[in-house]
Amino acid sequence: MGSLLDPFIAMWYRQVKRFWRAKPRVIGTFIQPIFWLLFFGLGFSAAFRAGGRTGVFLGLDYLSYLMPGVVLMTIFMGSFMSGISVIWDKEFGYLKVVLVSPASRKASIIGRSLGDATIAIIQGLVILFFGYLIVPTINLLNLIPFLIVSIIMSLSFASLGIIIATKMQTIEGFQLIINIITMPLLFLSGIFYPVSLAPLWIRVIALANPLTYAVDASRFLLLGVSEFSFIFDITLLISLSSIFLILAIYQFDKATIG
Amino acid sequence: MGSAIITNNLTKKYGELLAVDHINLEIKSGEIFGLLGPNGAGKTTTIHMLATILKPTEGTAIVAGYDIRKNPKEIRKKIGIVFQDMTIDRNLTGYENMWINGRLYGLSGKALEESILELLDYVELKDWKDVEVKKYSGGMIRRLEIARSLLHHPEILFLDEPTIGLDPQTRAHVWDYIIRIKKEKGMTILLTTHYMDEAEKLCDRIAIIDHGKIIALGTPDELKTMVGQDIIYVRIQSQNGRVSGFIEKLKSINSNSSVNLNPPNLISISVKNAPNVIPTVFEIADEEGIKIIELKYSRASLDDVFLKLTGRRIRDESGSWTDFVRTRMRARFRRR
Repeated sequence: MGSLLDPFIAMWYRQVKRFWRAKPRVIGTFIQPIFWLLFFGLGFSAAFRAGGRTGVFLGLDYLSYLMPGVVLMTIFMGSFMSGISVIWDKEFGYLKVVLVSPASRKASIIGRSLGDATIAIIQGLVILFFGYLIVPTINLLNLIPFLIVSIIMSLSFASLGIIIATKMQTIEGFQLIINIITMPLLFLSGIFYPVSLAPLWIRVIALANPLTYAVDASRFLLLGVSEFSFIFDITLLISLSSIFLILAIYQFDKATIG
Repeated sequence: MGSAIITNNLTKKYGELLAVDHINLEIKSGEIFGLLGPNGAGKTTTIHMLATILKPTEGTAIVAGYDIRKNPKEIRKKIGIVFQDMTIDRNLTGYENMWINGRLYGLSGKALEESILELLDYVELKDWKDVEVKKYSGGMIRRLEIARSLLHHPEILFLDEPTIGLDPQTRAHVWDYIIRIKKEKGMTILLTTHYMDEAEKLCDRIAIIDHGKIIALGTPDELKTMVGQDIIYVRIQSQNGRVSGFIEKLKSINSNSSVNLNPPNLISISVKNAPNVIPTVFEIADEEGIKIIELKYSRASLDDVFLKLTGRRIRDESGSWTDFVRTRMRARFRRR
């Protein structure tokens, strides 16, 4: 067991430590979601209220509707970016250090993903407590189940990042790939509007997106309303996340350097 | 003494390109073995295959008693490696980098802590242990990488271009460490280099590699004797003695020697082994009444060996370009 725990701890420690060192990044990650809540959330909340269309958002005020999604968006971005940062390890050689060691690659990559998840969830919590200040109706008694949903979601997107990073041959187009992947995942997830109201083709994509179920489950836990049943959300979230994680482990396990 | 590494037709193809072409080598336990060749000769590819992070297209190798195809995990436990490119996490301290690596090799607790401090002391970085690596100089990073590769007491150490991009003083410093490691830890060391002086200074035996093929193998002296021409330069006093007689006698020293008289009074003599011939030169000068004012000689270099075998020099233009890029890359790391 020790032989699996060691690389797990090593890689978890590295991710957490690295993030903690990069102080401007720590602060930077909080700014964007706060902007979304304040500039986007408050504005649209007022607009929808003026139009009398609050019923569309599961009977919630738009700002409340948006809040859980913005917290998950923070976690999603954090974990996906950390996952895809394997590309930098590949480009700048650190990946070789892990590959040349006798450590279990499965344990290493799970440790790394969980390290990424840890950071992302701390970021998410900060946003959650900020959101609580402007949407005090949030039910913080469900914080623990909410955290579990967040960890599962985070693992799936750290894994997706790792899959993409191990597939990419060069860092060219890095930024492009991030935009091409993160924008649709964010917009087709029910963060900004209920999936069930969207056109069919959007609904199809959203239903394959783990973020959709995490957002819906979180809205249920924090605000008591949801589009799908909680059990359905959790089942789909765990299933999709497992697929991503297994693919990531498989990819990393057979990785060589050329 | 056994063999640390035996390769058997080890080959790597990238598409049509033969990066490593059926290499057969045997590296003895406890020796420093050098792979010398220009950039792109296949040195790094060979090391990556032996270190089990690149699969050979054909052939195989036995490293530390295990087959690289069948038992990569056993080999990984027994080898240490310093990669050509920097592979230290710059956002972590020296100590943290060492610690993470220790855990990857299954070390932990007090024992790990003690090994780290001992090795950091060994490479004179103990005072820097809690400083982020981005503040280290290139030479310090190299020393940290060497310390890191020794953490799990490997049997075989791979050093891929250990002094590339370093200034001459730092290079000499790194050489001292390598010599010390061999002496004190009795490790087998396989290093690659495209620096002649480095290969000559460090290696017990050298394989010269070009276009993925081993084109010569031996001790530095054996290799140089192969092309065999040292040159002795003798400056004589012009007025006295019988110069022509002197030159005739010099020509008869050994069969393939050639003698040239350059203005004003400089004679150059090509011979197989200069130190052995020099006493004879003095004897002949004595016999012919020639007064020698100055005598110096230059030995055949490994570059001459390479030149003779391939018609090119090891450090050609493209080589220096790659060096330049690497140096720039390292500089970029330091700034980031």
